[in-house]
Amino acid sequence: MKKTLNINIGNSIIHIEEDACELLNTYLIEVKQHFGKSADDFEIVSDIENRIAEMFSEMLHTQQKQVIELADVQVVIELMGSVKDFENESAEEEPEPYRNAHSSGFGERKIFRDTEEAMAAGVCAGLSHYLRMDVSILRIIAVMTVFLGGSGLIAYLILWVSIPRAVTRAEKMAMKGEAFNLQGFKRNFEEEMSNLKDSFRNAGDHMRPFVKESGTFVTEFAEVLGTFIRTAGKTILKFIAIVIMISASMALISALISVAALLGFWDSSTTEIFPLNIVDKAYFSTFVIAALFVVIIPLFSLILLSIRVAFNSRSINKMFSYALLLLWICALSVAIFYTAKISTEFKEDAEFTQNVPVKAYPLYTLSIDRSRFFSREDSLRYQLSAKEYTGRIIQDDKSGPFKAPRNVSIRIEKSEGTLPSLTESYSSQGINFETALYHAKNIHYDFTQKDSVLKFSPQLHLMKNVNWRNQQVKLVLRVPVGVKLNIDRDLDRYLQGYSLWDCGDEEHREEPYQAIMTAEGLKCVFDQ
Amino acid sequence: MIAENTQTQMRKGILEYCVLLIISRGEIYASDIIAELKSAKLLVVEGTLYPLLTRLKNNGLLNYNWVESTGGPPRKYYTLTPEGVSILSQLDGTWQELSFAIAQSKESKKN
Repeated sequence: MKKTLNINIGNSIIHIEEDACELLNTYLIEVKQHFGKSADDFEIVSDIENRIAEMFSEMLHTQQKQVIELADVQVVIELMGSVKDFENESAEEEPEPYRNAHSSGFGERKIFRDTEEAMAAGVCAGLSHYLRMDVSILRIIAVMTVFLGGSGLIAYLILWVSIPRAVTRAEKMAMKGEAFNLQGFKRNFEEEMSNLKDSFRNAGDHMRPFVKESGTFVTEFAEVLGTFIRTAGKTILKFIAIVIMISASMALISALISVAALLGFWDSSTTEIFPLNIVDKAYFSTFVIAALFVVIIPLFSLILLSIRVAFNSRSINKMFSYALLLLWICALSVAIFYTAKISTEFKEDAEFTQNVPVKAYPLYTLSIDRSRFFSREDSLRYQLSAKEYTGRIIQDDKSGPFKAPRNVSIRIEKSEGTLPSLTESYSSQGINFETALYHAKNIHYDFTQKDSVLKFSPQLHLMKNVNWRNQQVKLVLRVPVGVKLNIDRDLDRYLQGYSLWDCGDEEHREEPYQAIMTAEGLKCVFDQ
Repeated sequence: MIAENTQTQMRKGILEYCVLLIISRGEIYASDIIAELKSAKLLVVEGTLYPLLTRLKNNGLLNYNWVESTGGPPRKYYTLTPEGVSILSQLDGTWQELSFAIAQSKESKKN
């Protein structure tokens, strides 16, 4: 069985087989291009077409058949003669060399862009035919020069615009340096036909250059882009797929390791680190596992997809992918549920204030104390003996894990009376006022006075098993007018409404900041 | 190569002359011209005839009429123009001279 087409040639309707039509079409286009040089183009070509139609009619009539076959077209072309035969005839009249490439294609190579073997616009493929070089070498050179300041790209564009595309069979043969005559023509055609049989899918591509005799640069650009995506794009896609595969696998492994860490396989103290300490211990594991599935299922699918793209492997079982999707949705719902639950834990605020007595001195030294006071409970927990350490132990917060956002603020105000005082406000959030207050009460904050030295802890401490609920401590130190303060520079980060760098004293940057309380508020000593 | 070239030149001139001769016998269709030339073994491929006819027509030697045909599209029937007739008579003269020249050349070679 063969496909047939109906063609209108010389005002006759002819049934013709597809391969025969292809040959005829090619032949006619060459004839047209040959005679296109003279003004009588149309008339000669229509004469020839009429004659071909007549021959076909005769063939159909004498051979008692319905369809013109490939052999018939070959006979007709033999009778009509090839373009080369025409050239012999007209050789004397037009002695000047022909501008058109197919005319000079007597085995002499001409440069054309090869759009059939093209990666992009066929510049490299065309050059490889012309220079008789392997196309891959040229492509590698081309790609490398692109990285040399993009010169390769510009050269490519120039060559693209300046080198014509091999459209006709004659041009394609000239490009490859094949002698252009009927013999070569036939060989070329048969070659192409065998290719056609190899992949029927390509038939459209082969036909296209003949159907579209000339295209503008823009339409060609779109076509080239298509070719590029089909050929080079595929390679790039595979490369990207492999990169994605590797990175997704690494992400997957790290997700699994971190979840293992979070669930306390090695060290249970991770749950005390912010922001993990937001999540209540009661459902910490559930939440983490749900989050794990929310993260790893897309990663896993991404890996599978990349493998599929990179290695052309089969797609995974449908049931399996649905199961994955279902599992992911479940995990997502659980994660969303707990996220919502956690967010309600911040609904209510509670705050309580307590006054701490401060002994009166004319000069105070304010400093940050990174050591931590341990309660009896803590001492027991850390197995500390009260004799060995006098209730104090240095805890280096700087190198330790980040436990919470800044939660201590200090404000220095003028005292209304003659006595200094310190007000500590503990605040927290919770699902209701009661829990919020409970959280606020469970804040431990260290403030100590040793003679005139006031020491502030840089952080508040949460009691064991208390989640982070935006606990904060606000300290207000009130000192009477005339009292001097030597403030440690480290305190600047915690001071509110006052900067220790405002005072225009460059020389004493390393020394404690010297301030004095005046009727208008705190003032730098050097400003006085 | 030289022989080939000379052959082509000779063939070309004679082909033109023959075409004019065939047409001079009366209105004729291109296919019939081809058939005549083929029987005279002067034409290798048909495709070369059409440019020739067109050129002769453009030079005012030929004219054609569209004639309806049975079971097919209309056909071109060629006739000679008065100018064509006069050129043909000139060519007749040339041919006489040429054949004389050839005969003469061959004769002298034999002697």
